[in-house]
Amino acid sequence: PPETRAATRARTRSGPAPVTDVAKLCVCDLLVAQCDVNCCCDPDCSAADFSLFTTCSVPLVTGDNRLCSQKAAIYSLDVEANPPERIFKLIDQVNPSVFCIHATNYKQALAFSSPEMPTSENFDQLLEQFGSATFSAEPDSWNMNKDAQNPSDANETYRYEYGVPIQTVDAFLRLPSPVVSSWCSDGNPAGFLVNQATKCTRSVNVEECGNIQAASMLFYINSSILAVNITVQSVVVQSLNGMRTLLNGSDVLRLPMILDELCINIVLGMSYHITYTDTGEIIQAAASFVLGEINKEALSIQQSFEISFTQVNTKPVPVSGNPGYVVGLPIRAGFRPQGYPFPVEILFAALVLNTNKYGQLTILQSTSNQDCLAAQGPRTPILFGYNMISGCKLRITAAMKCQPLTQTLLDLLKGQNFPEYVASFGNSQAQDVLDWVPITHLHTSEQRIYNTFQSSCQIPVSLEIEVKWTKYGSLVNPQARIVNVTATITTTTLKQLPSGRERTIPITSSVVFTDISSPAEPGYKAWPTINAKLPFDFFFPFV
Amino acid sequence: NNSYQLSSVPLQILFYVNGIYYIFYFLATLAMIVYKSEVFSYPDDFLAPDLASLFIMAILEVLRLYLGSKGNLTEEEAPLGLSLLITVGSVILSVYFLVWQTYVLKADVIINAVLLFTYGLESVLKVVAIAAFVS
Repeated sequence: PPETRAATRARTRSGPAPVTDVAKLCVCDLLVAQCDVNCCCDPDCSAADFSLFTTCSVPLVTGDNRLCSQKAAIYSLDVEANPPERIFKLIDQVNPSVFCIHATNYKQALAFSSPEMPTSENFDQLLEQFGSATFSAEPDSWNMNKDAQNPSDANETYRYEYGVPIQTVDAFLRLPSPVVSSWCSDGNPAGFLVNQATKCTRSVNVEECGNIQAASMLFYINSSILAVNITVQSVVVQSLNGMRTLLNGSDVLRLPMILDELCINIVLGMSYHITYTDTGEIIQAAASFVLGEINKEALSIQQSFEISFTQVNTKPVPVSGNPGYVVGLPIRAGFRPQGYPFPVEILFAALVLNTNKYGQLTILQSTSNQDCLAAQGPRTPILFGYNMISGCKLRITAAMKCQPLTQTLLDLLKGQNFPEYVASFGNSQAQDVLDWVPITHLHTSEQRIYNTFQSSCQIPVSLEIEVKWTKYGSLVNPQARIVNVTATITTTTLKQLPSGRERTIPITSSVVFTDISSPAEPGYKAWPTINAKLPFDFFFPFV
Repeated sequence: NNSYQLSSVPLQILFYVNGIYYIFYFLATLAMIVYKSEVFSYPDDFLAPDLASLFIMAILEVLRLYLGSKGNLTEEEAPLGLSLLITVGSVILSVYFLVWQTYVLKADVIINAVLLFTYGLESVLKVVAIAAFVS
């Protein structure tokens, strides 16, 4: 009947009553209705059991020994007697100190307080008091701290720091990602300035096409980042055979629905593009979607998600580290635009960079046929920290002329757009010319030329790029910084061959990264100062 | 010579000793309250009455000793009677510190017992002095 149910709910349960009689208190009595070994206070033990004990594990049970006089139970084994027997004495233990507690009028003083049992009435208050990582014993002072925090939160603009979850109206901006297995979990918060790309699998039921929340566009643009609405930037529709078409009008919200036994407008890919200012505020958010369709047999879909951050008024330049270079990311390099004088003044134009981050500094890529004069294939980007060597074989015939051959080999070794400057940090901006290191060019010759007057043909046979880098910054988090880049071209003499003969010479190009970090200098801390302060409540009643 | 000097010398001596003892009592009780608040769990709504009582007792004591001493030396019964009345209040506060304090230590018991004994002796001597002045 509902009345008794309501009565049961209203009754608060309390914990078991505390035991305060020292004669009945036994901490070593762990087994119920069985005798614990060497436990002299166990009521389940008989005299025969006591005669088998060697010592008493609990010799003394007392109350709080700060009281002036308290009862104490002493358990001991009389080993002289035959058989050994247990001696139990109940005495009054006296605390001789003059500051012993004679009496107390405060009931909770000397015992642990029983915690409040949560009911539906006091649950919210208990959660407020104990729900955070730390809580104080006085609930009033806890409320005061909350009031102190409120004025700063009232500030409408939020300044984000790296890694801080992006707040939306109800919670955080989430990027579904696989956790443990490849199934999507919707709990991954997106951190500010943390570019992420995730792929995960989601199980779908085609019958409930319109109700699959996580596969509908609305789910991802519904949560508005505080004061900024998420706009739809572009929508790409992918058909069942994988063909993608970009839609023209991207304002229309396309929700999943059933059409011709297929469930269309399912979100297969989504990427957020967040624009931020240099003070750490988010001013714009856009989402791009890839919508697909699934047929009745599909049990799961694979979704891919991405989030990227761009600073306002800058073109997104891919960085190779922040700030130091990260091993494995390509070296960033660029040119100074034509028509500008030698580097002296500060007001320089920006450097021109290749928008393809893998195409900025490249070396020759070895091909399977190893023929240098074959069609120039793709070049390998130089990745920071990876020493590389590559090469090809050059077949020289008698008919080859010196100058065109030299030019071809230079183009082969250096590539079409060999840059002039290399970024010293992974995130150097093109506007800061001082952050860029010029490439030094050296020429050496394989043979020592004594007779420079002889006009022999020098053809470049090897390009060695040596990148000297150092560790920069703090000892616990050193950042890699490029200090010096030297490109050395080694040439050799091309001897004129008799007609019909041909020679094969190897052409090599290599990249070497050298760590020239100086040993760390210890930074000594300041001398410790004596900080003698009285406790804050020393002059308690007067303060 | 005692016939024209009605002031009670033992009472005056007792006032003097009481004054010195009370200074010691006040500092000792205050120090013990500070000690208790550090060592034991002493929430604010138990600490406030104890401290308030101690300060009220100090004020009463000063008043009491001044009036009693003045009444004894000027051989007037009015201030002495008022002092006797204030003694009642001091006795109640001393009993509070002896029995109803939040934490009663053995030292509290000792110094309050001595104080109560002093008050009792003083009251007897005051009554005798008032009787001598009135008649």
